[in-house]
Amino acid sequence: MKVLLIEDEPELRKSIKQFLYQEGYVVESADDFMKASEKAADYDYDCVLVDITLPRGNGLDIVKQLKKNNSRAGIIIISAKNSLDDKIAGLDLGADDYLPKPFHLGELNARIKALIRRRNFEGNQSIVLNEITILPGERRVKVNSEEVGLTTKEYDLLLYFVSNKNRVVSKNSIAEHLVGDNADQVDNHDFIYTHLKNLRKKLTEKGCRDYVQTIYGIGYNFKTD
Amino acid sequence: MKLISKTILLYLLISLPLLILAGFYAYNLINTEVKDGTDDALYRETLNMQNLVKTLTQPRSLYLDADSLTGVTLLKEKSFDYKTSDTVIYDRLEEEDLRYRLHRSGFSYNGNHYLISVAKPTLEEEELKEGLLTAFLLIFGFLVISFFVVNIVLSRTLWKPFYKTLQRLETYNINQQEEICFDKTTIREFNKLNDTLGRMTQKIRADYRQQKEFTENASHELQTPLAVIKTKLDLLIQSKKLGQEELELLQAMENAVHKMASLNKALLLLTRIENKQFAENKTVNMPGVVERALENYSALYESKGMTIKKQLATLQVEMNPILADLLVNNLVQNAFRHGVKNGTVVVEIAGEKLIVMNTGEPLQVKPEELYLRFKKNESSAESLGLGLSIVKSIATLYGFKLGYAYTNGTHAFSVWLKPQTDLL
Repeated sequence: MKVLLIEDEPELRKSIKQFLYQEGYVVESADDFMKASEKAADYDYDCVLVDITLPRGNGLDIVKQLKKNNSRAGIIIISAKNSLDDKIAGLDLGADDYLPKPFHLGELNARIKALIRRRNFEGNQSIVLNEITILPGERRVKVNSEEVGLTTKEYDLLLYFVSNKNRVVSKNSIAEHLVGDNADQVDNHDFIYTHLKNLRKKLTEKGCRDYVQTIYGIGYNFKTD
Repeated sequence: MKLISKTILLYLLISLPLLILAGFYAYNLINTEVKDGTDDALYRETLNMQNLVKTLTQPRSLYLDADSLTGVTLLKEKSFDYKTSDTVIYDRLEEEDLRYRLHRSGFSYNGNHYLISVAKPTLEEEELKEGLLTAFLLIFGFLVISFFVVNIVLSRTLWKPFYKTLQRLETYNINQQEEICFDKTTIREFNKLNDTLGRMTQKIRADYRQQKEFTENASHELQTPLAVIKTKLDLLIQSKKLGQEELELLQAMENAVHKMASLNKALLLLTRIENKQFAENKTVNMPGVVERALENYSALYESKGMTIKKQLATLQVEMNPILADLLVNNLVQNAFRHGVKNGTVVVEIAGEKLIVMNTGEPLQVKPEELYLRFKKNESSAESLGLGLSIVKSIATLYGFKLGYAYTNGTHAFSVWLKPQTDLL
C-alpha cells in the first residue's frame, strides 16, 4: 500500500510517516504545493493525505488535479481549519474523507483502512481475524460463524480496535472516535468502560478469545499476536 | 417609571403642598377680612344706636329684633366698656345654627346707663372651608389635566428623536453587519447624544470584531501544535519500555492535551455559530435527533445506573441539522453528566417545547449564570463548561427561548423550538 502524505509541519509529517511505516505502508511525503503536485502527477498511490493550507498553494487544488487525472487514490483531507465550507468544498471535489486537526493516529489509521476497503472492494470484503469476522458493508459481526448482536457503539469500538490491532489506543482516542464531533466532551471514561464491558461479554459468550488488554491507566491494546 | 409619568408626578408633588399653603393663606385672609368688615359695620351700628338713645325722651330699653340680640338695655349702674364675641344662634327659619358676631358696649347719657348690643350674622367657617376646598380641588384637577396634556404633547414632539434613538439601540445587535445610524434632529442635545452613541458603538464593534478574530485565529493556530503533541504521544505510548510510572505521566499529558483540544474545538464552534457559518437550514425531525442523542450517551447513563423516560411527540423544526444535533446532544449530555447516580432523566417533546429533566442536587451557581462560558458546578470537573454556552448560542441564533427550573430535586431545561420575536 502506497501513501502520499502532503503536510508542511515537519514534526507532524514525521509522526504520521513513522506511524504509517509501522503499519506497513510505503510512504512518500511532500512539504509544499509544488512537490506535492509533482509527486501526485508522477506516481500512483492508494491513498493521499492532503493538508489544505500549504506553502505556495492550496491542498484543494491537489484534490482537483488528482481527480482530473482519474487517479484511483483515495483522498483524505487533513486540515487545521475544520471549517464546514472547506469540508463541503473538499468532498464536492471528490475527496473521500475530511479529518480535522488535531487527530489521533489511531483515528487516521481507521479512516485510511476504511477508505481503502471501500475503494478496493466496494466495502463487500469481510475482515477476518481468527474467529472474528466483520462484514463492514452490513455492519455485522460473526464469531465462529455465529452472529453477534452489537449496538452501533459496540460495533464502532470493535472495528476501531481491529483497525488498530496490536497497538496501544488511548482512552481519549476511543472517546473521540465514539462520541464523534460533539464539542463539550467528557473526560469521564466510565462510558468507554461500559461499552467495552458489554462488547467483551457479547464476544466471549460466543466463544471468542478476550483480545483486549488493559494498558495501565492509558488505554487498551487489541492483541492478536 | 416613564419620563412623562415621573415629570407629572414631580409637578404634582411640588404643586400639592403649594396649593395647600395657598389654601390656608386664603382661608385666613378671608376670615380676617370678613371679621374686620363685620366689626366695622357693628361699630357703625353701635354709633347709630347711641344716637337713637340720645333721641329718647324717656330712658328705656329698646328691642329691635325678635332674637333680641340687637337692642338697648337700660342698666342700673355703669357697665363695661365694650366686648366683641362670636355666638351661635339657632335659626328657626333655616333650621340650623348660625354664627353671629356680637358687639356689646356700655353707654351713658344724661346719667342713665345703657348696654347696647348689635349682632350681625358672620361667615360660616365650615362653608368657607368647603368652598375653598372645592375651589382648590378644581384648580388641582385642572393642573393635573393640563400637565398630562402638555407632557404628552412634549413627548410626542420634543422627545420623539430620543425615543427613536432608544428604539434603534434596542433592536441593534453588535453581531450584525450594518453599522448603527441615527436620524438627524433639530435638537442639539439629541444630536450630540446620537453622535456619541454612534461613535461608541463603532468602537465597540471594532473591538468586538478584533477580539473575535483573535480568538478564531488563535484557535486555528493552536490546532497544528496540538496535532503534533497528540501524534507524538500516540507514538510514545506504543513503546514497550514504559513502566507504570511513565504510563501515569503519559496519561496525565494525554488527558491534558485531549482537554485542550476539546476546548479549542468548542471555542471555534461557538465562534462559527456566532458568525452564522451554519446557514443551511433543513426540516429536522426532532424526535429522531433526540433518539440519536440518547443512543450516543447510552453508555454514560448505563454506567451511572440512570433511568430514561421519554415522551416524544412529533415535531419538525426548520434549522441546521448539525446545530440541531449539537443543541440536543449538549442538553442530553448535561442531564447525564449532572444527574445523580441511579437518578432519572426525562426527555420530553410537547408542542414546540423540548424539555430535558434530571434529578440532581441544587445548583451552586445562579441560574442566569448557567449559560456563561466556563461557569460550572464544582462537582463536575470532567466538563469543559461550554456545553450550555453552545446551547445558548444556538438558541440565540434562531431566536429560541430557553427556560430553566428546579423543582422537587429535578432540574428542567426547556427550549421553545420556535423563533420568539421579542428575543433579540
